[in-house]
Amino acid sequence: MSRPAGSQTVAAERTIGRLLIVMTYVAVALLVVGVALMVAAGISPLAEGPPFDPTAIVADVAAGMPEGFLWLGIMVVIATPIARVIGAAIAYGSAEQWTMVVISIAILLVIALGVGIALAATV
Amino acid sequence: MPVGLLMLAGGAVAGAFGSLLGLGGGILLVPLLTLGFGLSLPQAVGVSLVSVIMTSSAAAGVYLERHVANLRLGMTLELFTAMGALVGGSIAFLLDERLLSALFAGLLGYVAFTMARARSGEPTADTPTAADVEASAEPTAMTTLDRLSGEGYRVRNLGRGVVGSAGAGVASALFGIGGGTIKVPLMNLSMGVPLRVAIATSNLMIGITAAASAVIYLVRGEIDPYIAGPTAIGVFVGASIGSRLAHRIDLRYLRLLFVVVLLYTAVQMLLRAFR
Repeated sequence: MSRPAGSQTVAAERTIGRLLIVMTYVAVALLVVGVALMVAAGISPLAEGPPFDPTAIVADVAAGMPEGFLWLGIMVVIATPIARVIGAAIAYGSAEQWTMVVISIAILLVIALGVGIALAATV
Repeated sequence: MPVGLLMLAGGAVAGAFGSLLGLGGGILLVPLLTLGFGLSLPQAVGVSLVSVIMTSSAAAGVYLERHVANLRLGMTLELFTAMGALVGGSIAFLLDERLLSALFAGLLGYVAFTMARARSGEPTADTPTAADVEASAEPTAMTTLDRLSGEGYRVRNLGRGVVGSAGAGVASALFGIGGGTIKVPLMNLSMGVPLRVAIATSNLMIGITAAASAVIYLVRGEIDPYIAGPTAIGVFVGASIGSRLAHRIDLRYLRLLFVVVLLYTAVQMLLRAFR
C-alpha cells in the first residue's frame, strides 16, 4: 500500500475482472454438462450424491460421468474468488504495494486454515 | 427429472429476486431447500454458498472491469469476513439444527423489517458532509484510511467496518448467505462509501466470504453435487435475468411481495425449529 491506485493497478483490476467472468462461465459450462449427463443417466437430484474425492475427478470426467463434471464445476466456482486474491497479490506485488500483498496472503492463509480445521474434524 | 426442474426453477426465482432487490439468492434458497426439498440445514447452506459464489463472482468481475468496486477496501475487509466465516463454518456443525433454524428465522425477520422500512430517496452517506470534504482536502501524510478511500469519498470508521465484516462472515457461514445485507449498509452508512461502490465492493467480498466457509462444507461432505448443480445453474440464470429486468420493474410492489414471502418463510423456519 505504498502508493495510490495508478494506471497499473487499474489495468490489473480489469484483468482480474475478466478472469472472474471467464472462470464463472467455465464453471457454469461444467455444471450444465454435469446436469445434462445426470438427466441422460436418469439420476434424481435427491439421490445421494457421491462423496467429494478430488483424486477421482479427472477419471470421472474422462469417463463422461456426471459427478466428474459437477465436482469440477463446483471446484472452479470455489476457486474463482481465491484466484482473484492470488491475481491481486501478484498485481500489488508488481506495484510494490506490500501491505496489500500481506493482506492477500493473510486471506489465503485463513482459507487454508479453514480447510485444515475441516480436515482435522473429519478424521 | 421433475425434482431437478423444480430445483432449477426455484433457484432461478431465488436468484432473480435476489438480483432485483440487491440481495444474494441465499436468503430464499436455504428455506427453499430445507422446507421444500427436505434437506438438512448444513446441506442447504453448502449448496447455497456455491450458488452465492457463482453469482457474486460474475457481478464482481463486471464491477472490477468498470472500476466501480474498491478492491483495496474490499480485500482489507474480506480478511475479516473470511476470519468470521472460518469461525462460523466451524461452529455451524456444533450448533443444534433447531437453534440454527430459529436464528435463520430471526435473520429473515430482520431482512423483512429492513426492506419494509426502506424508502426510495432515503438519505445515505453518498452525499459527503462538510466535515468529510474538509477532511479529504487536508494535505496531510497519507493514512491507511486515505489509501483505502476512492475518488470523491473518504473512508471512515474502519474499526466498525472490521467488526461488522467479521459478523457478516459468521452469518454467511451459518446461514449460507452472502452477507450483503450487513456489508452494504455498513460500508454506505457507517464508513462513508457511496452506495454504488458499497454494492460493488460487497459483491467482491461475498466471493471470498462464501469460499472460506464453502471449503469447510465441502471437506465435511455437506455439498451434494446432484443438488448443487441444478440449483446453482438456476440461481445464475435467475440472477442474470433479474439484473436485466431491474430497470423495467416497479420495485415497490416487488419489495412488498418479498417482505410477505420473507415473513411467511420466517414463520415456517420457526415452526421447523420448534417441531
